[in-house]
Amino acid sequence: MYLGIDVGGTHTDAVVVDRRKVRAFSKVVTDHDNLLVSVRAAMEDVLSQVKKDRVERIALSTTLSTNAIVEHKTEEAGVLVSAGPGIDPENYHIGRGYAVIDGSLDHRGFEVKELNRKELQNAAQMFRELGMRVHAAVGKFSVRNPAHEIAMKSAVEADSDHVTMGHRISGMLNFPRRIATAYYNAAVWRLYNKFADAIAQSVDEYGLEASIHVLKADGGTMPLARSRQFPVESILSGPAASVMGIVALCEIHEDALIMDIGGTTTDIAVFAGGAPVLEPRGIEVGSYPTLVRALKTRSIGIGGDSVIKITRTGQVRVGPEREGPSMAQGGEAPTLIDAMNFLKLADFRDRHASARGIERLARLWDMYPDKLARQAVDFAVRSIVDECRDMVDMLNERPVYTIYELLQGRQIEPKKAYVMGGPAAAFQPILKEALDMRVELPPDFQVANAIGAALTRTTAELELFADTEKELLHVPALSIEHPIPRGYSQDAAEDDLRKLMAAYLDELGLPGTREYKDEVEIVESNAFNMVDLFGGAFRNIRVKAQLRPGILD
Amino acid sequence: MLEAKNSLGVIFFPAFDWAIEPTHPEREERLLYTQDQLREEGLFDIEGITEYKPEVATRRDVERVHFCLPSVETVATKSHMISAGGAIRAARLVMEKEADRAFALVRPPGHHAMKIVEGNRGFCNINIEAVMIEWIRENFGQKRVAIIDTDCHHGDGTQDVYWHDRNTLFISLHQDGRTIYPGSGFPDELGGPNALGKTLNVPLPPRTADEGFLYVMDELVLPVLEDFKPDIIINSAGQDNHFTDPITNMNFSAQGYAALNERLKPDIAVLEGGYAIQGALPYVNLGICLAMAGVDYSKVYEPDYHPEKVRQDVRSMDTIKRICEDVRNRYFNPPSTPTDGDVNGQWFTRMKDVFYDTDGIRESQVESVVICPDCSGAVKTEVWSTSNPLSLCVEIPMDACDKCASLGRRAIEEGHTKGNYRIVQAINRKDKEYTQFGF
Ligand SMILES: [Zn+2]
Ligand SMILES: [Zn+2]
Ligand SMILES: [Zn+2]
Repeated sequence: MYLGIDVGGTHTDAVVVDRRKVRAFSKVVTDHDNLLVSVRAAMEDVLSQVKKDRVERIALSTTLSTNAIVEHKTEEAGVLVSAGPGIDPENYHIGRGYAVIDGSLDHRGFEVKELNRKELQNAAQMFRELGMRVHAAVGKFSVRNPAHEIAMKSAVEADSDHVTMGHRISGMLNFPRRIATAYYNAAVWRLYNKFADAIAQSVDEYGLEASIHVLKADGGTMPLARSRQFPVESILSGPAASVMGIVALCEIHEDALIMDIGGTTTDIAVFAGGAPVLEPRGIEVGSYPTLVRALKTRSIGIGGDSVIKITRTGQVRVGPEREGPSMAQGGEAPTLIDAMNFLKLADFRDRHASARGIERLARLWDMYPDKLARQAVDFAVRSIVDECRDMVDMLNERPVYTIYELLQGRQIEPKKAYVMGGPAAAFQPILKEALDMRVELPPDFQVANAIGAALTRTTAELELFADTEKELLHVPALSIEHPIPRGYSQDAAEDDLRKLMAAYLDELGLPGTREYKDEVEIVESNAFNMVDLFGGAFRNIRVKAQLRPGILD
Repeated sequence: MLEAKNSLGVIFFPAFDWAIEPTHPEREERLLYTQDQLREEGLFDIEGITEYKPEVATRRDVERVHFCLPSVETVATKSHMISAGGAIRAARLVMEKEADRAFALVRPPGHHAMKIVEGNRGFCNINIEAVMIEWIRENFGQKRVAIIDTDCHHGDGTQDVYWHDRNTLFISLHQDGRTIYPGSGFPDELGGPNALGKTLNVPLPPRTADEGFLYVMDELVLPVLEDFKPDIIINSAGQDNHFTDPITNMNFSAQGYAALNERLKPDIAVLEGGYAIQGALPYVNLGICLAMAGVDYSKVYEPDYHPEKVRQDVRSMDTIKRICEDVRNRYFNPPSTPTDGDVNGQWFTRMKDVFYDTDGIRESQVESVVICPDCSGAVKTEVWSTSNPLSLCVEIPMDACDKCASLGRRAIEEGHTKGNYRIVQAINRKDKEYTQFGF
């Protein structure tokens, strides 16, 4: 049995799932000042309904890191940066302790200029004076050669409880994002680890023999031990939980749209060939773009509680504002759900209150109430449909870099949609007509997020770089650097990366070599001829492997 | 967060699966490190800088510009169609006002491809700038266009395409043709009889550095642009003037390229050459992108950049000043007739020999243009080569007056009735008719 917990903005949900069947379910109000209390309450409730010694795995999504960042409750981290030529690194200044150290590497990882030791010592001194106990060390092109980050780390290590090194976060290139990601990781490290301690302790107290996993925004989980080192990966995992819930409930194999219609927003995700589409660069956190991998989702300000407005020219609009609950729930102003109630498309709470609100608004603007309600619903549906189409168009417009990809490039053409969330049932027939495709309402859609948490399996991503001129291969995320022969090939690199990924999963305490070996897929693989001035030919090889988002059986 | 003053669209298409040969300078690796640099710098996270994928140019887009012998398909591969399509995408972004400016960072290049194309010259098959410009004119009307070619090699292809076009100003800055391929591009090459002074050539002495290039910009290019008043400015952005380029001998730097771009303010830049793929292209391309977007580029320099090592000597500065003065005069006081041909009635005729270095084709042309005070003039060219027998190519320009249009039509008809041409091909921009007879 798997236990899933989703800490949401309003509610904390927990489920126990056994062979894809929900055995127990619990919903408690989230206590924002003490998330642990909510997690424990929900957990206790579901565990009382099942044989708890059969729970073998616990997975939770938590808003802890996200909230800390958004509410500026993070710890101050000292940031060491080595940049060299390019965009001025002062543009990425973050926090009070931000020091740019002279020194640089080039795009192939060759050291162009050594790190300035004196500046490094001065920075360490500054952090000490500021009383900083967590640090981030980030170098430009560190994923090609981590030497500068390692040197920066050792300069502050003695005074530090934790140092995040940029190259360990992701093998992807993007220096400004690496800075922001490493900074946030260090800044939430202590807070997160206290939470992780408490969770581990609670699991112990309940006498559970289960492994603990934490949700990530990319539609996967990571073992608790990894999350302790990389807490930043736990941010914004909420939407991923619901998307993976749909995957668990519906077994999607084709191109599809997923719409999660909530009270204030509608979140949209896209599936290509049965797999959720990922944001290629990383998610934005507290207005900083980061390297945290995430599902590609879009959110628009239209939900059941979105208020109905009439423009000066008499046009009916819905959202993006929300002015309290619907009138059906005792609110002041009519909302989208009130319009649906009025049209008998929904049957939610107090239908008479909804009707009063719609009629009053209609009188004010000298309109027919049913016309007003109809236009409000049409506007909402049209906005959702337009956004879906726009998102698919954007994905199909994504840059590609080879002639083959451009000419043969697979276009995403969704023929089916899945809709979930509070007002989903009411929207299902209208969306079917507007999208002109099948629209499915998954069973148990109200708890899809917790089911997603329960069943989401581990994801991982590794990048390998090999340079036959340097006779070296690198796997930055694992700090691996190996010698290779001159004749090292692209095939050898792919094989090596598969093996490294399986070993890495084993190390995380997962059955990598045993179970996941065949599921490791190579997602990008390139080899380029490099020719030096003397006619020598070498190979620059880049391979990327992943364990893609998936569901436990 | 950084923000662009001018929104910039970048079409980045490195064609990672195309090369002339695995070790040819124009190979897959060419834009590899540029991609690394742009990604690592987070260029596309800057607000206002967006990456787009290219379009694929159509056969019609090429037929509007080139006489391809024997056909578009035989001279242009998919990679060329995509490269040209990348330039079209850049133009579309700007013309449809989706971006203030655009940079097509694409390969293969195109500025050595001439009006008539039988194969590959100087790594170019079709002229991607010309295909783009004529796409603009087809969709947005006859515009006054200025092309500033800052590639180290003379843009002889673009010069040839626009030789007779009075609505297109072409200025090429390049290393002196006596010292480098293709050996042309001297101040006396000024355009055909109807467009004299609309082609300008600035041969620069080897080892010209930032100082010299910026002098040419300030003292020649900008004043001429001020006078020509183009609707659109295009930078044919070749980057082989760089001090580390393996196939040229100039001393231009990333800072210099960015500064040049900041002064020129092109609406669209299109990548041309540039073969210092590790030491130069990543920094130069980054500098140009930032300059076009109006973002600070002051810290963008090459790892091995030492300004004192690439400073130009005083004598070359004197030469550069003299050339600028000379070219400036030729623009403002062009001669009344060209010196490279003969007048035969209302036609002006010149002979041309073209060598396709990559494909080894030798080609000869007899080109005649109607001398006309009212338009760019109809052009008919007889062409034969080691690859194709005698053929006739006739172009009626977009701005053709009635007289020239009818002289052009008559030339096409005569071509058919005379019967000794293998191929008779016509580009009739006035009536949008593109025809080819023969096989
Ligand atoms: Zn040039
Ligand atoms: Zn060139
Ligand atoms: Zn005329």
